[in-house]
Amino acid sequence: MTDLREREPIEDDVASPKLERKARRRSSWRGFMHAAPAYVYLTVFFTLPLIIVFVFSFATRSNIGLPSLSDWNFDSWTRLAHPLVRTIAIRSFWMATFNTLLCLVLAYPFAYWIATRSKQLTRTLLLIAVLVPFWSNFLVRTYAWRMLLDSDGYITQVGQALGLWDRMLFTAPAVFIGLVYGYLPFMVLPLYAALERMDWDLVEAGRDLFASGPKAFQKITLPLSKPGIIAGSILVFIPSLGAYVTPDILGGGKTNLLGNFIALQFGSAANWPFGSALSSTILIVMLFATVVYFRAGGRTV
Amino acid sequence: MSENQTAVGLRGITKIFGEDVTAVDDIDLDISDGEFFSLLGPSGCGKTTTLRMIAGLEFPTEGSVQIYGEEMGIRPPNKRPVNTVFQSYALFPHMNVEDNVGFGLRMQKVDSSEVKRRVAEAIDLVHLSGMEKRRPKALSGGQQQRVALARALINRPNVLLLDEPLGALDLKLRQAMQLELKDIQHEVGITFVYVTHDQEEALTMSDRIAVMNQGKLAQVGRSEEVYETPSDLFVAGFVGEMCFLEAEVAEAGMVRLSGGQTVAATTSDPAGSKVTLAVRPEMLHLFGDASEAPSGRNSVAGTIARNVFLGDAILYEVDIGPAGMFDVRVENIPSMRRWDVGDQVVVDFHREAATALSE
Repeated sequence: MTDLREREPIEDDVASPKLERKARRRSSWRGFMHAAPAYVYLTVFFTLPLIIVFVFSFATRSNIGLPSLSDWNFDSWTRLAHPLVRTIAIRSFWMATFNTLLCLVLAYPFAYWIATRSKQLTRTLLLIAVLVPFWSNFLVRTYAWRMLLDSDGYITQVGQALGLWDRMLFTAPAVFIGLVYGYLPFMVLPLYAALERMDWDLVEAGRDLFASGPKAFQKITLPLSKPGIIAGSILVFIPSLGAYVTPDILGGGKTNLLGNFIALQFGSAANWPFGSALSSTILIVMLFATVVYFRAGGRTV
Repeated sequence: MSENQTAVGLRGITKIFGEDVTAVDDIDLDISDGEFFSLLGPSGCGKTTTLRMIAGLEFPTEGSVQIYGEEMGIRPPNKRPVNTVFQSYALFPHMNVEDNVGFGLRMQKVDSSEVKRRVAEAIDLVHLSGMEKRRPKALSGGQQQRVALARALINRPNVLLLDEPLGALDLKLRQAMQLELKDIQHEVGITFVYVTHDQEEALTMSDRIAVMNQGKLAQVGRSEEVYETPSDLFVAGFVGEMCFLEAEVAEAGMVRLSGGQTVAATTSDPAGSKVTLAVRPEMLHLFGDASEAPSGRNSVAGTIARNVFLGDAILYEVDIGPAGMFDVRVENIPSMRRWDVGDQVVVDFHREAATALSE
């Protein structure tokens, strides 16, 4: 180490607002460098495709079905006003809403139960159990459900034996079974995170202040777990709105939903510009709705 | 309510956590109506568990909790006539001061105009007027503490339970709040059960103190009793400062210090038993030699081993040989004589200041 006393004082060594600004700039540049790889990746592989989708929505469908990038127009956007689009959008919206509610009702008590286990090991094991399905492919798991729900599968046979239902596969309940199965973990995890962070002294304080168990839940636990409810709802609602694989495999693709309607445009209907306009619209609406939803939740918590 | 009515009665309560962790071990206690009663002890002694069993936040493994003669059994906290001020305050972060304070009344379905009036009254009692609309986060530690107090007091509980309520405050604020709490208790006239590990706080505030150790009651009595006549070595060491010296009972009222010298002291053990002689530092006086010391008192010769400047006083450690050390506290006043390390001195104390305690 050099003895600082032996050095000649340099003007730059003396602290000054200019020097402080320089240090600040340097540290913010360092921060940016850490983020740079992800930044570049997201720009190239995430933002650019989205821009391409948006640009294509103004293109024209050529005779052979491929988009022609010459005659720019708003035709695809005007087509969004078609009654069929509205019917499909509303149907998808209700399906996503119902699925979100189902997931919430099922996941909340479960997340609560995990979060209130006293042993850390128990909690970890239960969370791993929630995540186990992710270790295999979603498509494979959906086909597995198809076997369970098929007319010679256990679920259909049990239903028939009890006289409760006749067939399961290619019905609305089958689609919801598949959707809940697929998206439940996305609801459980944020709810667990919110409940695990909860200060249980607050619930005790509520009980001490004459709140019954259910009342304390309503006035204290529920409002304090709101961030988890919001995050979980968004994580389930958005993918459910564009769900494609599950309605197709378990529902038989009989009903038009936004997901398979868009897929149709890029497939047999061969109308890329219209498919792009549909996708862009969903993206913009969801972005807007998410911001509003977060704002509404952020104020009360 | 009559003067000596029992507010809280604990009958042989025991709390065992899990398989074999005994937090509270067979405690019998009567807390009188209108009393400021402290549960004092080191951390892990079971004082908070005892408080929680009175509140109903924990149920005893054995024994019973009675509040104004009524058996509590496993009655939940919302059905007990007591309220708690939590150590962490446990203020509801999603409600403002007003809603926090009014919570208990709203849960009891008290009329909203009545709630409004009493909330204003309670906020006024703890000097927080003007803060009604603030969230707990926007308050200082001392203000949060007051909200917690108001939130509990507004319900006019028969007994107010306080779990180290001043623990998180700095010294000056804590001392101010101690006096204020005393005043508030006087004003509302309800029984306070106060849990603390701070012996000075317990002595300052309490009418009576229960000293707890390892889940058991070590001593129950008025502040003066606990300080002046500790029942055992633990209480003697925990409450206030105390000098301990190795000794043996010579005869009734006489104790021989290890190393030879005999002094007069309060004894309760038979001659020959090993004891520890306990004397408060402020009861000791220092003299240059035996001739200066007043006659008819104990005087023990020793050497100054260390002197520590405390500001308002000087603490001298006096080595008296195999028996141990005396800590002598001498007030820092102009006429005070100062001693240096190595000086030969005589430690003087009255026979009633010394107590022989057995293990």
